[in-house]
Amino acid sequence: MKAVGARLPRYDGIEHVTGRTTYVDDVRVPGTLWVKALRSPMHSATFSGLDTTKAEAMPGVHAVLTWEDVPLLEYGHLSALGIPADEPLLAKDEVRYKGQPIALVAAEDEDTAAAAVDTIGIEFDEREPLLDVRRAFDADAPTIHPWGNWYPHFENEMDRRQIRKGSIEEAFEKADAIVQGVYRPAAIEHVPLETQVCLAVPEANGRLTIYSCTQALYFSLGVVAAHLQVPLNKLKIVGGTVGGGFGGKVDTATETMCSLLAQKSGRPVKWRWTREEEFLCSSTRAPWHMEIADAVSKDGWILGRKMLTLHDSGAYARFSPYGLTKHSFHHTGAYTIPNLHFDGYVVFTNRVPTTAMRGFGVTSISFATETHVSRIANVLGLDPYEIRLKNANRVGDTSPNRIVYTDPSTVPVVKALAGGMGVELAAEYSAMDRGKREGDLLPAHLVEQLADPEDH
Amino acid sequence: MNLIVNGVEREIESAPLTTLLDVLREELDVTSPKAGCEQGGCGACTVLVDGEPQRACLTAVGVVDGAEITTAEGLGTPDDLSPIQQAFTHHYAAQCGFCTAGMMLAAEAYVRRGGTDDREAIQEALAGHVCRCTGYVKIIDAVAAVARGDSFDLTVTAPSQGMTNLGGVS
Repeated sequence: MKAVGARLPRYDGIEHVTGRTTYVDDVRVPGTLWVKALRSPMHSATFSGLDTTKAEAMPGVHAVLTWEDVPLLEYGHLSALGIPADEPLLAKDEVRYKGQPIALVAAEDEDTAAAAVDTIGIEFDEREPLLDVRRAFDADAPTIHPWGNWYPHFENEMDRRQIRKGSIEEAFEKADAIVQGVYRPAAIEHVPLETQVCLAVPEANGRLTIYSCTQALYFSLGVVAAHLQVPLNKLKIVGGTVGGGFGGKVDTATETMCSLLAQKSGRPVKWRWTREEEFLCSSTRAPWHMEIADAVSKDGWILGRKMLTLHDSGAYARFSPYGLTKHSFHHTGAYTIPNLHFDGYVVFTNRVPTTAMRGFGVTSISFATETHVSRIANVLGLDPYEIRLKNANRVGDTSPNRIVYTDPSTVPVVKALAGGMGVELAAEYSAMDRGKREGDLLPAHLVEQLADPEDH
Repeated sequence: MNLIVNGVEREIESAPLTTLLDVLREELDVTSPKAGCEQGGCGACTVLVDGEPQRACLTAVGVVDGAEITTAEGLGTPDDLSPIQQAFTHHYAAQCGFCTAGMMLAAEAYVRRGGTDDREAIQEALAGHVCRCTGYVKIIDAVAAVARGDSFDLTVTAPSQGMTNLGGVS
C-alpha cells in the first residue's frame, strides 16, 4: 500500500519529456504504404457503378479495397454484449453518413493514394437525410435504418430502455408543482492530438502485426479477427500508447481496413487520418434530447421524475445501446427520487456514428439534472445548495435501478462547492453528512426506496 | 541543403518545398515533432529554429537551409534532463505526451528570453499549443517553476496549484 497517497512519478514520464515515446505514427517499417479513403460526400444516398479499375492500374498503387474484399462485411462493435451487427466495414450500395468509407487505396506515398482515390468511379442517388432525433418518430420522416429509426433490440426485444420505480401517478397527484425542462447538449468531437492511425505489417510467418492507437485493445483484436474471419492467433496487436483518446478510440476505426490492405498488398500499410477527417468522419459524443418533468413539494422535495431521452446514435448502433443503459441507471443524477418513469430511445440519424466519451451517457444527465435542480430552486424560491443537500443521495438510498448507495459523495461535494463559493449554509445543512437518513430527512415518501447497505 | 539538428549537421535530400516536419520525421527519423493537424493550429510540431519556436508543419525546409534545429530529443537525455524536462516530469505536465514536445520547446524559448513565472505571460507564450488531457494547469505550473529557478525531485510529482482541496469534508 506504499503507493496510496504517494505522488509517484509517471512510468512513462521520462520517455514523454525526452521525445522517445513511440506512438503508432513513429513506428518505422521499410516499404510502408500510405492509405487514403473514398468517403461519402452526402449524408444519405444509394450508389452504383463503383469502379476502381483506373485506381488499380495507377503506378505506385498496390491495393484497392472495397466491400467485396471483406470476408465478413458486418460485425457489431459490441457483439460480446448481445448488440447485433448493423454496420458494414465499407459501404456496399448505400451510405448513411457524410464521411462513411466506401473504398480505400494503398500506395507508395500519400499523394499517389489521394490521386488514385480521385479516379474511382461512382454514382450517387441522394436521399432525404434525417438529422434531428425529434423528427425520427414523425409519420413523414424518412426511414433511414433497416431496423427502423430507433434501436429495437434491448432485452426481450424492447424498443426502448425503460425504468419504472414507485408510483409516478401518486407523485404527480401529491405534488405542489410540476417543473419541466428540455435539455439538449450537442455532439462533441474528442479532438485527440493524435488522429486515428494504424500500421498493419504482414509477417513472414503468415501473421499480421497491427500497431494500433486503440483504447480497447482486445475489443479491436476481436473485431479485426471477426471481419477477417481468422483465428485470434493470426493477429498480434501492439497498443497501449495512445496520443489522447477520451473514448473516441474505443471504436475500431482503422485496424481492420489496414489489415485487409496489408494482406492484399503483402506490404506494411499505414493509415493516418488528417485533422479534417478526424473532425468530420470520426465518431463524436452523442447529442442528446432530454425532457424532464419533476413532481415537487413546496418545501423542496423531488417526489417523482418523468423523463424521455432521445440518444442520437448517428447512422449505426456501435456502443449507443450500452451508453443509453448507463444513462438510464443515472437518470436522477446525484439525487434520490423515489418515483420514476423513464423512457429512453437510441435514435438513428444520418450523422456520423456516436460513441463513448468520458462518462459515457452520464455527463448528459448530470448536465440536465443539475440545471433542472437549479430550475426547481428558482421556481420554488428555495436555496439551490439546500435543495441539493436535502435530496442528495445518502447511505441506504437506492439508485433508479435499485443499487443501494454505500458511500455517495453528493453531500461532501455540495458542501465543498458552497465553501468554495463563499456561501454560508444554514446550521442544519452545514452539519449534514452522507450517513443514513433519519428524522426530518426521512419523510414518508422516501421510506420505501431504502435498502440495507450491507446488501450491496 | 543541410540542417544542424540537435547539434549534429545533417545533409537534406528532400525537395526544398518539403515541410520541415516531413524532413525531420520521414527523412531524418526525428519523431518527437508530431503531425497533429498539419495546418499550424495545434502546436504539436513546434521546434526551435535558431532558438525561435516555429511550426515545422508550415515551414518549407528550403527556407531554413543551414539553420540550427532543436527538438525534444535535443533538450536533454533520460540521464541528463534539462530544467524544462525535469519540471514537466515533476509537475506531472505530460499525460498522453503527444503535445509535450511542442509545448516544452515553446516553454524553453520563453524561459531563454527571460520569461518570468507570471501565469498570464506563460499562457500568452503557450497560446496556440493545444493539450486535451491535462487542462494546462500543470503545464503552466511546470513552466513557472523553471522561470523561478526551482530545483526538482524527480522521485515524486508535485501537487497542482489548480487543485481544490476537498479533504476534511465528510
